[in-house]
Order: sequence, then structure tokens, then C-alpha cells
Amino acid sequence: MIGPTIRKDIWLLLRDRGRLLMLFVMPLAFIVVFGSIFKFGPDRGKPRPIAIWHAPGDARGEAIAKAIADTPGFAPDPKDSADAVRRAVAAEDVRAGIVVPADFDPVQGRPIELVIDLGEQVQVRGPLQGALTGAVMRALSPLPTGKLPPLVEAKSPPGLAKPLENVSAFQVTVPGNGVLFGFFIAMTVAMTFASERHSGTWRRLLAAPVPRWRALIGKLVPYYLIGVIQLAVLFGFGGLFGMQVAGSFAALVLLSLALVACSIGFGLLVSSFGWTEKQLGSTVPVMMLVMGLIGGCMFPRLLMPPFMQKVGLMVPHSWALDGYYAVLVRQGTSVADIAPQLGALTAFALGFALLGLWRFKFE
Amino acid sequence: MLALRGLGKDYGTRRAVDAIDLDVARGEIVGLLGPNGAGKTTTISMVCGVVTPTRGSVTIGGIPLADKPYEAKAKLGLVPQDLAVYEELSATQNLDYFGSLYGLTGKRRAERIAYVLDVVGLTERAKEPVKKFSGGMKRRLNIAAGLVHEPELLVLDEPTVGVDPQSRNHIFEVVRALHKAGTTVVYTSHYMEEVEALCDRVAIMDAGKIVALGTIAELIAKHAGKGIELKISGDVDAAARAAAAHASVERDADVLRVVPTASLAPVIAAIEAAGASIATVHSRQGNLETAFLQLTGHGLRDRAEAAS
Repeated sequence: MIGPTIRKDIWLLLRDRGRLLMLFVMPLAFIVVFGSIFKFGPDRGKPRPIAIWHAPGDARGEAIAKAIADTPGFAPDPKDSADAVRRAVAAEDVRAGIVVPADFDPVQGRPIELVIDLGEQVQVRGPLQGALTGAVMRALSPLPTGKLPPLVEAKSPPGLAKPLENVSAFQVTVPGNGVLFGFFIAMTVAMTFASERHSGTWRRLLAAPVPRWRALIGKLVPYYLIGVIQLAVLFGFGGLFGMQVAGSFAALVLLSLALVACSIGFGLLVSSFGWTEKQLGSTVPVMMLVMGLIGGCMFPRLLMPPFMQKVGLMVPHSWALDGYYAVLVRQGTSVADIAPQLGALTAFALGFALLGLWRFKFE
Repeated sequence: MLALRGLGKDYGTRRAVDAIDLDVARGEIVGLLGPNGAGKTTTISMVCGVVTPTRGSVTIGGIPLADKPYEAKAKLGLVPQDLAVYEELSATQNLDYFGSLYGLTGKRRAERIAYVLDVVGLTERAKEPVKKFSGGMKRRLNIAAGLVHEPELLVLDEPTVGVDPQSRNHIFEVVRALHKAGTTVVYTSHYMEEVEALCDRVAIMDAGKIVALGTIAELIAKHAGKGIELKISGDVDAAARAAAAHASVERDADVLRVVPTASLAPVIAAIEAAGASIATVHSRQGNLETAFLQLTGHGLRDRAEAAS
């Protein structure tokens, strides 16, 4: 009795692709992504370049460059001028830079300039800022005793929008969860098609004197509206907890509309696979979570190594998050500033929808 | 009212429906009788514009479905084999939606909803979610949803599958009332007694083809006149195999129901040659089942059970 039951359940399990995906692929994806996040460190990856400029022959500047070189995971990247350091950070060629003024004297109010994007998420910026400040202090030690003004002053390079001050955690968690869970409407869309097919109401709809494209639009529009309302509720809720919109409100709205279009398009694509409700229920959440993970919804993408950051760009989540972050945190962010993110989300939405329509079987 | 010309459907290399010709007159009830897998549902799906035919044409009320699909479909009501209703919605909400698909609005829609709820006996439960209904009530609502827009042609695809006898009788009454009111009905089933009870004419389908078409009396007279029951002593299996070379054979315990291809003599000789003997011989009164057996070479239930 036990043997046949074991055999039968193994057969059933092997035929349940969704469950296998959940059991094997999802943990593997999490292991790869989380593992790669911590790959950055001594002997485990390419050191992160830190742009640096100091006056020629400045012993203190050379000591700081050496301290950076001695810090695991960092490599000094000397530049010709202070402006070159600032330009490199603004262009995102390097994450941070150090400018040691020739007349460096903290007591006189001339500290070392730590060039870093202050609009970057605290989780990304904080460790880097701390590590570089520590390297500078080690290079300059022993330091005089007594109360000293700050040796290092962090500044955003020119050309980057100024971030909001006192950014709350909700600036990050609301868009992160909004994008992750906003995408789950795709599953609802796919489920409703599967349910209509299963129950026979889809046949009844096709037998009615209604053009098929209208039937399809009629099915999708309510979910689009629900998706928009869902994001409005999430962002409104964030507002209650101090989440602010630093940039243009229109940009926030357009980004949300594009994100929901993307989710609905993805739902249509998944619907076109012709999966049953059971298959959808066990497979699509895994897809959503993996996409959210590599897209940075659960962990800042900038903490991931360069390869994983590039992989993240293959899912719409990362583009949406980048756009939301700019609109919520960087002051003065306009619709034009998030045009790349809007364009990418629109392209994803169209791509998903066209692929879904091409594969969709009405009959 | 309905004209099918050379209508057929292939799925890859598999021919689901061959090339069907069928005319249904206005006000007529025509039954499509055949086992599961005979092609009834595919035929119905092509008639309703749910499935695109591989070949042939469908004309509804003189309107070609391929050329003017929306005009043609407006004349037609479909009652699918599945319970094609939304269980979370009430009966009224379901009918409201399905009526809207056919352009019913306002007072007219409300009147039609009230009327069809009355016809199927669900007025009292109209506001309740369908998931609280019994199976028979859901079946009746399924029919109401196909009727709400007052179609000239109603297509019922196995409407009594899984219902209790009481609900089945109620469904029969509804179909008869529609017939009386002049609605044309196409009724598919694999139950002989249903088409015998309801239909003016019957098209017998097997393996994707209409193998016979006529009134029940015509079909019986033409195809069921030679049915004979033989009670076998000895090896019944061997007798059945031997008889099958000269007749259509259906076995029921130790009784073989045979419809000889030519005459009875070679059947008897073959059974005896197989080592069995014939205890009794009865000439059977022909019925639709005998006709089906004669036409297809197998019993309706054999195929239905094999397919299910």
C-alpha cells in the first residue's frame, strides 16, 4: 500500500511543473541573487574604483590614496582634477570620489570632499560613505585630540538633482512593495482568463455578437483600473507615513500608469500560455518573486555586482523602481528626467501585450 | 433557419468533423445524436462562431456567419455543455451581463431577465449568488442565459449532463415551450431517450460525420427494422466475435443484439461454428438505438463510456 502511494505521489509531483519551480528554481534564484550581493569583498571580486584627486606631491593626499588601496574592495582611481572626480561620479563611472584640497584644513572649514550621490539609497550610500571616511581618518592619524570639525564633507556632484532631506524609509519601501505587488495583478488577469475558459463563459462570450478585440479589452480594462487604484492606495498610504514626492506629480502618475500597463501586458502574455488555474497558482507567484528580486524590489539593485545590475534591467521592475526613486527622492525630477524609465516600461508593456496577443488562443 | 454546407474542422492531422451538410427549418427541433467524440460539440462550436471551420459554411437565418458574424450571431443563443455562468454573481447579474452582450438595455433587458427567470423557474432565487444553487438550478440558469436575448435559433449542447430527473424534466418542458413559441432548436445529446422525446428530426453523428438524418420514425423504419436478440449458450465471447463478421453486434450479458448486414443465416452459422449455441431468438421492435447500432456498428453507450 505504501509503495504504490509513494510511486503515485512521485508521478504527480513530477508532473506539477509549478511546484517543482517553487521547490527548485525559486531557492536557486534567491541563492544566486543574494549570494552575488555579498560577493563584493576581499579576493572575491573586482575592487570598486574610487576616483581621487589631490595636489601633486601632497603627502596627505598620497596617504589617503594608499589607505584606499589598502581597504579591501576599493581601488583608487586617480583623476587629473577635482572636477574630473565630480564628473566621474555624476556620470556614474564610479560610485564615489575623494577630493583633497591643496589647502585642506578642517579647522579653517576646508574639509576633504567626499563626492557621492546623496540621493542614493541609504543602504547603498551609507556603507560606502562610512568605509571611505574611515580610510581618510586612518590615513591622517594620529589626529589631534580635542573637538575637531568634520574632516570629510559628503557632497553630491554638480548635475545631479538634490535629494530631499530627512528621507523616510517609506520613500523606498512604498515603491519597492508597490512595484512588487503591483505586478501581481498580472496573475489575477491570467487567472480570470483561465477561469472563464474552464467554466465555459468564454465560449459564451465568443458566441455573442461582440468583436473579439472588444471582448479582450473589456476583460483587461477593469484590471487596469484596479491596478491603478492599487498603486494610488499604496502611495496614498505611504503619504500618511511621511512619504514625499520630491519631483513632478505628473511623472509619478505617468510612471504608475506605465507600470500597470506593463503588469496587464504581462498578464495577457501569461494567459496566452493556456495554463490552468492550478498551474498559474503555482508558477506565476514564483515568476513574480524572482522578477521582483532581480529587479531590486527586495534588495537595492545598486548593492548587487555589475553583472546582476545588468540582469536586473531585463525586468520592468528595475526601471519602475529607478523612476519612482528619482521622482520621490530627487527634487525637481520632471517627466523628461524619467523618460528612459517611461520608455522602457512602455516598451515592456507593448512587448508583453503584442507577444501575448500573438500567442493568445481565442478558441 | 440554419444551413450547414460542407462544414468541417481539422485539428492538425486529426479530422474532428468531416464535411457536414444540414438544414434546419424555422421552428424545428433537430437533435444531434452521437457518442462523446463524435464531433457534436465541435459542430456546435462552428455553428456558434466559437471555432473557425477548416472548410464549409454556416448560414443562420439567411445570413452567412463568415461574412456577417455579428448579425448572424445576434440570432443565435448558445447553451454550452459547461455551466457557463459566474458563480459569484446572482442569477440576475449573470443575465444582465449576458443580455448586455446582445445589446439589450434598460427596461427591455429587465423584462427579458424577469421573463426567462420565470421560464426556468428561478424567479424566487434571482438575487442569490449562483454558487448557492443546486446543480439542476445552475443548469436551468445556463439555459436562461442562452435565452435572455430572445434568439431565433437556440443551440443546446448536452444541457442535461449531470442533472437529476426532476431538473431534466423541467429542462424538457422549457425546450417544448420554446418549440411551441416558434424557436428553432438544435439539441445535442448522447441520450437516445432525450432526442426521441424532444426532436422532430435527428442527425446521427459518428466519427465526425452525419451518418443518417430524418425523423425518428424514418430512421427506425430505414435502419432499425432488422434487430434480433439471440440468447447464447456456451462461449458468449466467441459467439460475439464470430457474429461480428456478419452483423453489428451489441452484447448484454449472454444476449447478443445483432443487426445483420445481409441476412440472419450466416450469423447463426458463424455462432454455431464458434462452438456456441443459440438458446432463444427474438425479433426486436426497432428503436433509435437499433438504428444507431445498424448505422455505426457500435452501441451509443459503448462509445460514450469509452470516451469518458
